[in-house]
Amino acid sequence: MSTTTVAPTRAEVSRPTSKHKLSFGHLLKSEWIKFWSVRSTVWTLSITAVALIGMTLLLTLAMVNAPADAGAPTNPLDAFGLNVYLGPLAVAVLGALSITGEYTTGMIRSSLTAEPRRTPVLWAKALVVLVVVFVVAAASIAVAALLQAAIFGGDGMTVDATDTDTLRALAGYALYIAMIGLLSFALGALMRHSAAAIATVLGVLLILPILFSAIPWEPLHDIMPFLPNVAGAQITQTDEQIELMRQGNDDVVLSAWEGFGVLSAYVVVLLGAAAVLLKKRDA
Amino acid sequence: MIEAQGLTKRYGTKTAVDGISFTVQPGKVTGFLGPNGAGKSTTMRMIVGLDRPTAGSVTVNGRPYAQHRSPLTEVGALLEAKAVHTGRSAKNHLRALAATHGIGDKRVNEVIDMTGLHDVAKRRVGGFSLGMGQRLGIAVALLGDPRTLILDEPVNGLDPEGVLWVRNLVKYLASEGRTVFLSSHLMSEMALTADHLVVIGRGRIITDGPVDQVISAATRATVKVRSPQATQLAQLLAAPDVTITSDEPGLLQVHGATAEAVGEVAAAGRIVLHELTPVTGSLEEAYMSLTQDAVEYHSAAVPDAPHAEAAAPTHEENAR
Repeated sequence: MSTTTVAPTRAEVSRPTSKHKLSFGHLLKSEWIKFWSVRSTVWTLSITAVALIGMTLLLTLAMVNAPADAGAPTNPLDAFGLNVYLGPLAVAVLGALSITGEYTTGMIRSSLTAEPRRTPVLWAKALVVLVVVFVVAAASIAVAALLQAAIFGGDGMTVDATDTDTLRALAGYALYIAMIGLLSFALGALMRHSAAAIATVLGVLLILPILFSAIPWEPLHDIMPFLPNVAGAQITQTDEQIELMRQGNDDVVLSAWEGFGVLSAYVVVLLGAAAVLLKKRDA
Repeated sequence: MIEAQGLTKRYGTKTAVDGISFTVQPGKVTGFLGPNGAGKSTTMRMIVGLDRPTAGSVTVNGRPYAQHRSPLTEVGALLEAKAVHTGRSAKNHLRALAATHGIGDKRVNEVIDMTGLHDVAKRRVGGFSLGMGQRLGIAVALLGDPRTLILDEPVNGLDPEGVLWVRNLVKYLASEGRTVFLSSHLMSEMALTADHLVVIGRGRIITDGPVDQVISAATRATVKVRSPQATQLAQLLAAPDVTITSDEPGLLQVHGATAEAVGEVAAAGRIVLHELTPVTGSLEEAYMSLTQDAVEYHSAAVPDAPHAEAAAPTHEENAR
């Protein structure tokens, strides 16, 4: 033991009020750095872009080459239809991993030590996921529409970009995919485990709609339109398309914004629950 | 300055930390000792708000940690080295945490250089050795140039150069008037580094005081005497409060008498002495005797191994 430590207890290090402050803007910057500095982000976003553009063009190609008398759809918007199923898959993985990756590695303890009030970390992360996924999905859909027009315009396969209803439906794909990313994020924040969260969200997106339509039990059938992705996907349809769905259909068919509202409500409830638990649980 | 009052943490029926109160003063290095499972890490986690106390409270620099406007400039904490996303590079990890407080890349590069991470800063943390992970954890703790440092096992996995560096760093930071609270299982290292000790066992404070006081209170002074007339000397020294043991012919360990007293007795009896050495207890001995009842996970005794110094007290009691 050293005997030289007679240094009297000096006044604590005095400092001008530190210029470094915790703020939501700073947290956003931090989450932005975190988001882009792991490999899964670029991978999942690239897969999303390729899937959105590729599927749209493939489907357009199939539509153009279908025999005229086969009753194939001729609306160029129909070529985007499969994106409802394939677009959100990689995004769901990204949304969940962006939060569960912190729990499985222990990073969350560093994050929560830097922001001990905790919930702002959740909001900042959610905002980054929502905005980035929306921008990537919107850009991909735009590129898909432009390529569709460039390649198949001669076959009448050009979406009418001057029609607000059409534009809303196209933007709807980006909104829908971004909101599914946020749904997955909220599940990840609740479950704190990558595999569990991804399995759950894929189950909700892929398995539930199949089960609900396959099991011949009326209540399930009635709930079906309110499943998160079934409801949310309404925003990708034009009002005209939704009207067609309603014809000859006794079931509830939500309008575009009603459906998106239902999906958003799921997300809000799950995020709220995640925030409460984040405050309560030991990290 | 860290102040804990009646700090308690229960997990179900198990009480990890049981109403402890202590103060960690600025300007010195305070060591936090205790056996595995004694509640050290839980206590440190409660200080920075990662665990919520079941009862009691703890403040850092006068406020609960979560109420500080810029927590990282108040407290730098290394709680476990691998609180890092394994897929991110060391530099990006530091940049992300610095960004929460608007701390710029200049400071990030400073702490990278300070901790010797320069060559690996761009590598993914998943491939780091224990020592490198530890250096990164220390870099994070230093990021905000904090007034208070909380370091859980900071030298764990470090090479000798790193151990020396941490020792000098924490002493320097304390000399600047900062509060330094660190735990370690390396008693020799703690003896060299700490000025003050808080010893915890089974969730309760066992002792709290300056290092030399803790050692002298928990160990008995011993005098080592070498003499060709050892047997004779032992007879002369015999007294109710004096215990004498001998490991080899001609060498006595005298407990309960000072070196002066032994020398005078020997002179009076005209006994030749070849050696007369007062031996003060070590921190390790003090720690072992303080925590022997508080050890949660006992190791099985190793048969026929030479008795550890710490086993000495029981040894003597048998001899009495």
